[in-house]
Amino acid sequence: MTEHSNIKSAAASGCRIGIDVGGTFTDFVLADTATGLITIFKEPSVPKDPSASVERGLPKLLERAGCRPEDVRLIVHGTTIGLNAVIQRRGSRMGLVVSRGMRGILEIGRSQMPNAFSYLVPKEEALVKRRLILETGARILEDGSIESEASEAELDEIAASFRAAGVEAVGVLLMHAYRRPDVELDLAERLKARLPGVEVAASAAIWPEQREYERGLVTLMNAYVQPIMSSYLDRLDRRVKGLGITAPIYITANNGGTLSLATAAERPIDTLLSGPASGVVAASVSARASDIDQVVTVDMGGTSADMSVIIAGEPEMTNNTHIGDFPIILPVVNVSAIGAGGGSIVWVDDYGVLKIGPASAGADPGPVCYGRGGTEPTVTDCYLVSGFIDPDRFVGGRMRLDIEAARTALDRIGAQIGLSESPDRPARAAEAALRVTTAVMTAEMTKGIAQRGQDLRAFTLLPFGGAGPTQANLIADTAGLSRMIVPARPGTLCALGAIMADVKRDYVRSAFFDLTTDGTAGPRIAAQVKQLAEEAGSWIKGEGELLTGHVFSVSFDMRYHGQAFDLPVSVAWADADIDVAAAVEDFHRTHERLYHFRDLEASVEITTIRLRVTGHVEPLRSAAVRPSTAQKTPHTRELYWKDAAHSATVIARDSLAVGDVFQGPTILEQEDTTVVVLPGWHGRVDPAGNLIVEKSEHQ
Amino acid sequence: MALDAVELEIVSRKLSAITDEMYFAIQRASRSAYVKEAADFATAILDLDGNVFAYPPSASFAFLVDCNYRTTIEAVPDVEPGDVIITNDPYRSAGLATHLPDINLIRPLFSQGKLVAYAWSFVHCADIGGAVPSSMSPALTEIFQEGLRIPPMKLFRKGAPNNDVFDLIRSNSRVPDITLADLRAMAGALALGEARLSEFIEQIGEAAYLDHVKSVQDYAELRARDILRKIPDGAYEFWDYMDDDMVSRVPVRVRVKVSVTDGHVQLDLTGTDPQVKTSYNVPSAGQRMYWLTFRLTGFITTQAPDIPKNAGIYRNISVINPPGTVLNAEFPDAVNLRASAPYRLFDSINGALIKAVPDLMPAATGGTMVPFAFAETMEDGSRKVEVVQPMKAGMGAMRGRDGVDARDNSLNNMRNHPLETVEGHSALVVTEYDIRPDSGGPGQWRGGVGQMITVRSTTDSGVIVARGMERLRFPPFGIFGGRPGATLISIFNRGRPDERLIAKIHELHMAKGDTLTLMMPGGGGYGDPFARDEALVLADVVDGFVSSQAARTDYGVVIRDGVVDAAETQKLRAAPRAAPKSDFDFGQFRDLWEAVFDDPAMLELNQRLFKLRKSSRHAIRRKIFERVVPELADPAAVDLTTALLQTEILRARFAEAVEELLPATGNVA
Repeated sequence: MTEHSNIKSAAASGCRIGIDVGGTFTDFVLADTATGLITIFKEPSVPKDPSASVERGLPKLLERAGCRPEDVRLIVHGTTIGLNAVIQRRGSRMGLVVSRGMRGILEIGRSQMPNAFSYLVPKEEALVKRRLILETGARILEDGSIESEASEAELDEIAASFRAAGVEAVGVLLMHAYRRPDVELDLAERLKARLPGVEVAASAAIWPEQREYERGLVTLMNAYVQPIMSSYLDRLDRRVKGLGITAPIYITANNGGTLSLATAAERPIDTLLSGPASGVVAASVSARASDIDQVVTVDMGGTSADMSVIIAGEPEMTNNTHIGDFPIILPVVNVSAIGAGGGSIVWVDDYGVLKIGPASAGADPGPVCYGRGGTEPTVTDCYLVSGFIDPDRFVGGRMRLDIEAARTALDRIGAQIGLSESPDRPARAAEAALRVTTAVMTAEMTKGIAQRGQDLRAFTLLPFGGAGPTQANLIADTAGLSRMIVPARPGTLCALGAIMADVKRDYVRSAFFDLTTDGTAGPRIAAQVKQLAEEAGSWIKGEGELLTGHVFSVSFDMRYHGQAFDLPVSVAWADADIDVAAAVEDFHRTHERLYHFRDLEASVEITTIRLRVTGHVEPLRSAAVRPSTAQKTPHTRELYWKDAAHSATVIARDSLAVGDVFQGPTILEQEDTTVVVLPGWHGRVDPAGNLIVEKSEHQ
Repeated sequence: MALDAVELEIVSRKLSAITDEMYFAIQRASRSAYVKEAADFATAILDLDGNVFAYPPSASFAFLVDCNYRTTIEAVPDVEPGDVIITNDPYRSAGLATHLPDINLIRPLFSQGKLVAYAWSFVHCADIGGAVPSSMSPALTEIFQEGLRIPPMKLFRKGAPNNDVFDLIRSNSRVPDITLADLRAMAGALALGEARLSEFIEQIGEAAYLDHVKSVQDYAELRARDILRKIPDGAYEFWDYMDDDMVSRVPVRVRVKVSVTDGHVQLDLTGTDPQVKTSYNVPSAGQRMYWLTFRLTGFITTQAPDIPKNAGIYRNISVINPPGTVLNAEFPDAVNLRASAPYRLFDSINGALIKAVPDLMPAATGGTMVPFAFAETMEDGSRKVEVVQPMKAGMGAMRGRDGVDARDNSLNNMRNHPLETVEGHSALVVTEYDIRPDSGGPGQWRGGVGQMITVRSTTDSGVIVARGMERLRFPPFGIFGGRPGATLISIFNRGRPDERLIAKIHELHMAKGDTLTLMMPGGGGYGDPFARDEALVLADVVDGFVSSQAARTDYGVVIRDGVVDAAETQKLRAAPRAAPKSDFDFGQFRDLWEAVFDDPAMLELNQRLFKLRKSSRHAIRRKIFERVVPELADPAAVDLTTALLQTEILRARFAEAVEELLPATGNVA
């Protein structure tokens, strides 16, 4: 989508396809690499085998776009198959080898219960039962010296126990293995030789970072989902090839990048949280194209809503997140849940208080208006009854909604909360429910932004997902945000983000240097970075021919001596040496910015070296939208808001051209979503094709 | 109550979000590990009567809502916009601060010139002076030794810092920069709270705001009361013991009578033992407060997870708490380690509720959380202290579910430290950090096992310091046929010729190569262990939670070569056994202890003690117990159980000692 695409045209003719599998629909986005035209398509998902909906949808997408299978240059796919396997505990039968005395590692974890306020919420079920966690005498000490090694007899015994238990995969987790990966790798090799057909993974080979529990989880989770992911990716590959498509398939990654099929099969852990990340990648491209610096995204789908932050066109990353109750220390795009989705249920508690969720009607039975047996009203039913969405144009008119059923269900809610009986009671109940929904989301967003030390009102809101643009103006209006940006295809942004992403992989090494007292640290740090760069460089070479080049970026986790937390500091890195003084100064400056002081007495330390390799994929041309044949003459619809019906202009989004302006109340309909612009707001289409919606000065 | 069905939820969310913003403002600006790692801080917004109506959902403690803010507010009456009140004094704030490291700030909030609310925050600061670094030691006997006392006074006047107070604190803290940064972090959060609240009031209008402040508390009251109504009307008595007070080995008893009438709960703490010599006293000022109610808070928030956290929850809870007991300390008693006695009250209220609503309550949780630290002398002679681990017990079993193994959120939900960083910070090697087999109370539903740890010193200058050690003698009780969890055990140089059991650790010296093993208690069991599903017993044995020996003796399950021997098991399980004597199994030590020192005798003893001058109660009490059980005065006598076997002789001796040292009439001391 970068307009300055200076890459020559080897791949300029043809198309790329992004595919994102959701709970209800599988989204397809096709971008013509020559014209930049985008075609979208939605196919109902097949939860049991997502590759089946891919196989079914692809030919329809190609037909719609007028492309042939041989025109496809690249397919990028996001899948939640691995994530679901972890959450539903459907992975391999695993064993774990730990240093002596550490067999309780998964039972103890970080010693925390998931909930501080309840004695009924249980702790998470461990990935490996303690019976299959076995001890080795191998022990590395904190300084990297080896206190004791594993004996052959001991390994024989461990292997025999695992064999007897029918273990399919084994993790090896030695204390301080990040100091001596060689020791752990050697042990893994010796064990593997005794266990033919069993995967044996050393923790330091997967993610050599200090913190044994978290490093162990990365290792185990990777092994846990590997067989399921490998066989899924195989099946996907076969089905796609069966359609006559020979293009390479890439898989979206947690860090907002993509990985080759082979890497994804080997390191599925790097893909588990990729779903929401891809959408943020596409959102960041839109924000950049419209020159907006500080963006908060809201991705609202059927069952939940997520937020993320984009600063200066870059998605914010974190290495402190969770899968279920498991902490994840890998760098991932920082996405957090903020509550309700379109399917969240509207209900009234025993005290007459109106509540939203957390229960969800999901895709099945879904909202009352789907007519699939749902009886409890949902947020989507509220949109419908409030006039936000059109019963005849949902998913491009492929699904007719039952507005009368939704009205009946919401009328009941209205009665329960004491609204007087009247023809507009369902609409008043719907508005009340939407206000509560908005309050819940706004509170969570306020909290999320406060954790970053900032004020939500300084941000521009970028909604996506099927319900995001329908809900967004309510959030902006309530939370005091003054601007929104709505990308061209917000309902299929995850699939679009997939084909915009570069190939990316992160590397880490826990390494400890005192930069204040250790005058010789520079060359030794540089040597470590170089080692990581070599590892990353040789990996990226195998990631396929479509890459046009690659770059490394390096950062350190740094702290004042004795401090309880680290700050990430990016450093310039050229082959030979590291500018230690510059890194220290950058750290002081970062610390000062966040905490308003620098400590010139404490020594400055490095605790972790991080390196990211980015393999460039040729940027997409300007993602213009296919000119539409949609109706050009606007009509009007009643929009219920603030206790009154407003006559809203209804416009087909595709009929708008760059520079067009509109005043709220306006409803912009598009195949993948409905954009609601409230009274007191106005909008325009900017040169990048994004809608910019702003609060009007006077209301 | 006039609840607006829609506005209530919307306004509550908005106000909670404001308190969350305040909470994160403190977290970000603080430099202390107490804030960054242990999350030992909080904030809230109070109405004009000093009742919390908005509390951060992100806060790590839910129970601080139940606090006496009023005394501090009333102590500084002439407030103006921009003023901030500070106090850390448990006595002058009547229990808002409960020990000196907890620095509390209160800011009156104004909207358009009118006082509309108060914002509060507290941080457990890293050091506030006194005899020892971090200002906490069990060895202290008066609050004067525990640190700088700051009675309620203005830290800011009309937005300008009161530099005299800042300077005084700077001169009294061992880590002034960190402590002053905490003060600034809190003050910043309170100012943010004022800005946000006044904006909010402008939006919705003052009348609507005041309505909400009332109705959100009314709503919490209604919900809490309906939860409390699950407890049948009646009076339920229970008591439990702290092992000792550190200076003597005489146990300290906490007693409660929980009286329930139509969802109103009264906690009568009469009969609780006198305050102790050391810093375990609770400065409650005789009022209801969180250290007395936190079991009820947990009961309510477990039953109603989405209840708004505000003062309305507590409207139907009252206390009777006579002065001079360990739960209502009088000036100038030391208070810094005030959590131990409330933890026993927690278990006592839990026990009382088991009598009332047996299906809703678990057996006793392990009941002790031991943060222990390693001190070493550095090359330059300085002493470095690093926390090794906050050691956790297991949780109690309930009808239908085993207790949680090796984790416990009953007191707090603090994270542990990765061993790889622990070994980087201190001159020690952790040779074992695991679950403790056989520590969970046997039962049809098993109590959760505790954690255990062994550390080996790699320096000759090592010193282990620990606090919070309890349940060394009185085990966590089992219920309805379930057995108690194991007691806390610590062992020096385990498995070596010089191995020895140690009692409570104050300072334990470690030469290079010495090891310390801490074995945490497990939770109590529920129901007859012989009725436990054999397959579950087998799984416990295979996973190492229960030894095969214990499977046989405690559960009547015989396991050979990894399978259940059905015939032998059936035989064992069919053999006649003694029925449990009562619904509670307190373990042998408590049974023997109470055979001598029973409830009526203890109530009588305390009545007589309270007639004495406060200063002599402790000594007389100690003298009586040590005369009856001389082993209590002998630190070398590890086995107190044997000492208690001759019940009749001891009872006679007790009666004699009381009559001699505490005659019922006449002038004493």
